[in-house]
Amino acid sequence: MNKSRRRRHGVSVSGMLAALALVATAGVANAACPPNDDDGTVINKGDLLLAFKPLLKADSVSKAQRIPMARHFALDVQLCDRGGVSGAQLTKADASMPAHKHGMNYRPTIKPLGDGRFRVDGMMFHMAGRWQLAFEVQAGKEITRLTHDVQAD
Amino acid sequence: MTFRPTEHHSGRRILATLLFLLAPAAAAGTDGFSAGELERIASHGPWPTEWMRDPGNRVSANAAAIHLGHRLFFEPRLSANGRVACATCHDPARGFQDGRATARGLADGTRNTPGLFDVRHQRWFGWDGGHDNLWSASLRPILDQREMGGSATRSAALLRGSAALACHYRQAFGKAPKATDPDLLVNVAKAIASWQETLASPPTAFDRFRDALERKDDAAAATYPAAARRGLKIFLGRGQCSTCHAGPLFTNGEFGDIGVPFFIKPAGVDPGRQGGIKRLLASPYNLLGAHNDDATKGNATGTRYLRPEHRNFGEFKVPTLRNLTLTAPYMHNGSLATLRDVVRHYSELDEDRLHTDGERILKPLNLSEAESADLVAFLESLSPEAAPPTPVEPPGVAACR
Repeated sequence: MNKSRRRRHGVSVSGMLAALALVATAGVANAACPPNDDDGTVINKGDLLLAFKPLLKADSVSKAQRIPMARHFALDVQLCDRGGVSGAQLTKADASMPAHKHGMNYRPTIKPLGDGRFRVDGMMFHMAGRWQLAFEVQAGKEITRLTHDVQAD
Repeated sequence: MTFRPTEHHSGRRILATLLFLLAPAAAAGTDGFSAGELERIASHGPWPTEWMRDPGNRVSANAAAIHLGHRLFFEPRLSANGRVACATCHDPARGFQDGRATARGLADGTRNTPGLFDVRHQRWFGWDGGHDNLWSASLRPILDQREMGGSATRSAALLRGSAALACHYRQAFGKAPKATDPDLLVNVAKAIASWQETLASPPTAFDRFRDALERKDDAAAATYPAAARRGLKIFLGRGQCSTCHAGPLFTNGEFGDIGVPFFIKPAGVDPGRQGGIKRLLASPYNLLGAHNDDATKGNATGTRYLRPEHRNFGEFKVPTLRNLTLTAPYMHNGSLATLRDVVRHYSELDEDRLHTDGERILKPLNLSEAESADLVAFLESLSPEAAPPTPVEPPGVAACR
């Protein structure tokens, strides 16, 4: 998600009217939803869309643009649903190596940024190989779990 | 219409097939490494790798502090009996190690002395990672009763009482050593750390091979011994060694249980990383504390997000594999005398010794004698051919009399 996209939509009168119409009928409209390529990887379950993007220091980016191992990174997460920005909360973000039967050595924290957006800090894949990212999203009493496999090298 | 290949067509087909079969070897620069292996080999360099000064140490990379730290590293008067210096265990002639299974300062210790080359690249310090920065790791042995048995009072008195040291201190920190004793002790450690940051090992035979592959220089790559090349194949593939021994430093900087006993003679256990995390979080010298010179605490990410786990018991740091030929014996307790012993440990790994909730990919490698020799040859190629000289002091520091 980038701010320029929001700003661009924000000054459009027709866009604002459309957004207001959507607010009246469904979730909170926002240019961040539905997510696009700039928002990173998009995974879904039912109506819930979760986009996540690793935030890496420039010197941590590998040639293949994969998440490098043994480097701390953050995640930018955006929650959307059919009506736009989801009102649900990201309550858990973690990762594990299923083949190795262990998780990370670090416990990430989640910071809500508003508009269905969250920042996850404290991530690190400390070994090379396949990691499974796991997210828990809570809307009311309903908890939705989403996973996605990523490769660390 | 049916197509009947002529002799000419058959020849072209055979040639195409041959080219297809040979393609991976050609792409690998005739070294027999797959594209994936080449990518992983490249990830172990370049060397030396980039280093940024330590933001938590305001005299990191400061020439005057390096000068002062050099003197303090060899200074036995920091110890209780005036006879033990940092260099007593961290001997420059032995890769800043002592060649003993376990350290001996004022008394016998229980862990192997780690070498100090390339220490500036580490995230955690000590076999249990009980320190998150180099200066606090340098401070601990000064105070430890089994190592130097010193104190803040002794360190401060030494600085104030020695005209030469006081002069170097003034050059490094911009003022006379008039701070409180505890603060002066921290600054002593920061100066020693700044000198240790200069202990960088040179490129090795492996680095030259890796660089030759990168620039597709087959002639230069061919000078890398065949045994080391075969050992590298095992390291990347069947051995899965690079899963943890990754990157230019050949370590992920984290911790693991590899089945090395953690019992201490005559009685007791070494809790390893579990104890290290407790010490770290209780230490006033960790990066979350007031002595961190990075006001943003942006360098404290690792400590801030640490997740203690049951499996940490008996885990020890994954060491760098550089400079191994200089730093025998091996493992946290120095229990393995040679690199051949280390390879045998993994080849005959006793899975019963591993944590039930520990790493699942550790399996006995069941290497033949020849394969073990190849893996040793590869490990030896990660060390410089000769012990690197102790770094010279930086120029441009005014003399102190």
